[in-house]
Amino acid sequence: MADDEANGDIGGDSDDVQREKSQKKIAKYDSGAADLEKVTDYAEEKEIFTADLSGAMTIIGDRRNKEAAEKMAKERELLKVSIKKEDVDLIMREMEISRTLAERTLREHHGNVVEALVSLTD
Amino acid sequence: MPSSNPLPPKENALFKRILKCYEQKQYKNGLKFAKQILSNPKYAEHGETLAMKGLTLNCLGRKEEAYEYVRRGLRNDLKSHVCWHVYGLLQRSDKKYDEAIKCYRNALKWEKDNIQILRDLSLLQIQMRDLEGYRDTRYQLFMLRPTQRASWIGFGMAYHLLQDYDTALRILEEFRKTQLSSFDYEHSELLLYQNMVIQESGALKEALDHLTRYSDQICDKLSIKETFGKLNLELKRYKEAEVYYKELLMRNPENTTYYARLQEAQQLTTASEKLNMFSEFQELFPRALAPRRLPLTYAAGEQFRILVDKYLRQGLHKGVPPLFVDLRSLYKDPEKVEVIERLVLQYVDALQKVGKFSEEDSESSPKEPASALLWAYYYLAQHYDYLGNTEKALSYIDAAIEHTPTLIELFVTKGRIYKHGGDVMEAYKWLDEAQGLDTADRYINSKCAKYMLRANLIKEAEETCSKFTREGVSAMENLNEMQCMWFQTECALAYQRLEKWGDALKKCHEVDRHFSEIIEDQFDFHTYCMRKMTLRSYVGLLRLEDVLRAHPFYFKAARCAIEVYLRLHDKPLKDETAEQELNTENLAPAELKKLRNKQRKARRKAELERQQAAQAQEKREQHNKSRQQGDAEPDAPQQDELVPEKLARVEDPLEQAIRFLQPLQTLAARRIETHLMAFEIYSRKKKPLLMLQSIKRAHRLDPNNPKLHSYLIVYHGYLTRWQGSLDASVATVLKQEMEPIFRGRDPHHMNAEFLAAHSKSLEALFESARMMYHLDPSQQEAAIKLATTLDKSIEGVNLQNCTRVLQALKNGEFGSCPEQVADYKARCHVQFPYAQVFRPPSTSCQSSPTAESNHISDGKENCVSN
Repeated sequence: MADDEANGDIGGDSDDVQREKSQKKIAKYDSGAADLEKVTDYAEEKEIFTADLSGAMTIIGDRRNKEAAEKMAKERELLKVSIKKEDVDLIMREMEISRTLAERTLREHHGNVVEALVSLTD
Repeated sequence: MPSSNPLPPKENALFKRILKCYEQKQYKNGLKFAKQILSNPKYAEHGETLAMKGLTLNCLGRKEEAYEYVRRGLRNDLKSHVCWHVYGLLQRSDKKYDEAIKCYRNALKWEKDNIQILRDLSLLQIQMRDLEGYRDTRYQLFMLRPTQRASWIGFGMAYHLLQDYDTALRILEEFRKTQLSSFDYEHSELLLYQNMVIQESGALKEALDHLTRYSDQICDKLSIKETFGKLNLELKRYKEAEVYYKELLMRNPENTTYYARLQEAQQLTTASEKLNMFSEFQELFPRALAPRRLPLTYAAGEQFRILVDKYLRQGLHKGVPPLFVDLRSLYKDPEKVEVIERLVLQYVDALQKVGKFSEEDSESSPKEPASALLWAYYYLAQHYDYLGNTEKALSYIDAAIEHTPTLIELFVTKGRIYKHGGDVMEAYKWLDEAQGLDTADRYINSKCAKYMLRANLIKEAEETCSKFTREGVSAMENLNEMQCMWFQTECALAYQRLEKWGDALKKCHEVDRHFSEIIEDQFDFHTYCMRKMTLRSYVGLLRLEDVLRAHPFYFKAARCAIEVYLRLHDKPLKDETAEQELNTENLAPAELKKLRNKQRKARRKAELERQQAAQAQEKREQHNKSRQQGDAEPDAPQQDELVPEKLARVEDPLEQAIRFLQPLQTLAARRIETHLMAFEIYSRKKKPLLMLQSIKRAHRLDPNNPKLHSYLIVYHGYLTRWQGSLDASVATVLKQEMEPIFRGRDPHHMNAEFLAAHSKSLEALFESARMMYHLDPSQQEAAIKLATTLDKSIEGVNLQNCTRVLQALKNGEFGSCPEQVADYKARCHVQFPYAQVFRPPSTSCQSSPTAESNHISDGKENCVSN
């Protein structure tokens, strides 16, 4: 894997030499362009070798499931809050924000439009 | 691969080679292989090949063809993930990120575990800062390729960016365990990154342990020491911290923050303790500047006099040009200013008499070099300029120029003195002179251009800059291409002063586009930094880009744009043709003929200009083409051209202003000006709650801001007027939120209270005077009297504030008052004799005669001789 990297670099360098020769003038104005060009070069991904990845992966898997569940619960909680359409419209019109944000703020404030507006004007 | 039109083995091999060529940027070869497939009539409409041909063409800068081929390819094979992926890549290269994400998602529909597509998707997600989406994609990649290094790093970093340090650290630690402890740079960076995440999680003790454990595997020795010092200090392990900061100072005795940290570690509190510490380092490093300069900040009284005396003598003896700039931060303390002034005046006196810094210096001591007197004059000129004493500053700079007429710095300073005195024309002339002394110096060249712009000489400034810009392109264009923002901002401000609104807006938009471009430029680094393991710098980059528009350059340009848009909203430009139509109705035939003639001429002129513009456009395109051939990457997509006439006649100036304002509201929320501008915009939109928002934010930053005070009174007026028509909940919010600010006072009462509390500041006097007139026009006389005071005991009687007062009087903010305007101008002219704004009309275009006569001719000679 280290070899790949080295080859990539060598290839890049010889390109640069050619470019420099043919377009000295351009190089004068665009110094550093060649280096920048290398940023987008293609490179193989490096591999790692390890005896056992399963342990780490299960920890992470559990964690993710729990996270997703928590997020869902919170969203569901928010969705339970009943809000009035005219309140949402008022917030959107007065604060010039998107419907999604207006609805969300209103839900977070349990549908209380005054509290929602106070927090939005903070 | 579920392509609806699979290729036979030979063609398939060719297709693979197209992919390879694309990856390795061998676009010409790629096209050759594509041609080989497509020239076979059986596969002439092969979707994936067409798409790849298009993508390759895009890389060669042939955008239109690229879209044509890619779309055709996709139409021919809608179920191919390759075609969708390619379409996404094409959109991405056009910065249409949302569209690109949709394409990637379509591609994933047909091949949900394609690594390359997932990788590209993750790049867009991090670019758009969809951090949760990024984490999910990185999770998929991780599960698909757990043996790849990048999978681990990317996955861990996703959690770090979401501030889930626990998970991030667990992933990084597992990953670290898979690495053999090698001593290469990438491993070292990984460890330092891990340490950074531990620190950010707040576990300082663990960070310290981690660093101790792995320090021998870390190559960046400086970072180790600095981190050790910092962590020990934060953990209050002062003894250990002291050792590290001493070691760091041994490496670099000029680093001022190390000294500050060392003071903390040694827990030095009194000035004398600190001074002792510095004198130790002075002995250790007799040539270092920092241990000599820093004590001046802490010393006071007689001790300060002794230290600064020594410091000044050394500086003047050696001829250190930025001596004044170096000491300027001490000028916050008026006592120190006095000491310095006395000392330097003494030096001048003694140098003139005996050629030494002091007459008491022993007979045997050697004389100072002749230049010491020059640098002393130079110092005093800057010193008096800083204190606003233009007269004295000029006399010293003239003495310096007489002493050595070839020193460029002197002319620059002379220009600066005039600039501070309010005479931009004279200032620019001196800078032009300086520029003439060394036309190969780009710094002076740029300074000169800047001064020209301050004097509204845009053409001249462009010409000056053109000495250093690329040949064959107009300087204006080249400076835009080079993202030369100071020039563009100054240019915008000059246009604004000249009331060329469209041109000013064009420059502001150009600056705004630079910022967008910088944000777009980070895209390539998402892959590069992970590959190179420069993770600390990468996270730093992401955080910088997140707040990029907090940069003062953006603030300046945005403020200019907002002001111009507000002006255009208040007084929209009339449609030129409509205006002429109206006029012809009541004209005599002869006059009509004249007018027609005039119009014809104007049309011809316009036609000519159009032609020139077209030519220029053509030239530009050629130039772009030649550039594209130079580097393989295609140029950024051609954006809509900014046309000043169109910009100035935009239909929704307030919405445009909001576009410039919004980044400031999130990124420059600590600057009160942001919220004051927001108030201006939203009051024109009649949005009471958004006005409330700006008032609340500004009030939290500085409740005593004079401008805010005026807005409060104006806002009170609005609210009273709107009372009946407001929605009930809006009214409740307003009442509830404004109560702590209005405290039940009426506007007259508020104004009187503010005036009483801030009667010693001109800015405050001016604003409350304005409001006095606003609330009750019969108070005109009293209000004007308040605002036009030049009393010495009042703070802020300076050029800027007095200019603002004059403008307000002229604008009718105090009603009609021609006599008072004339009187105020005359009084200000006495106070600020050099300022152009206050000069009586007869002499306003001509600057002080003495200066005029003795340098213009010199300047010309210099230009010729160079």
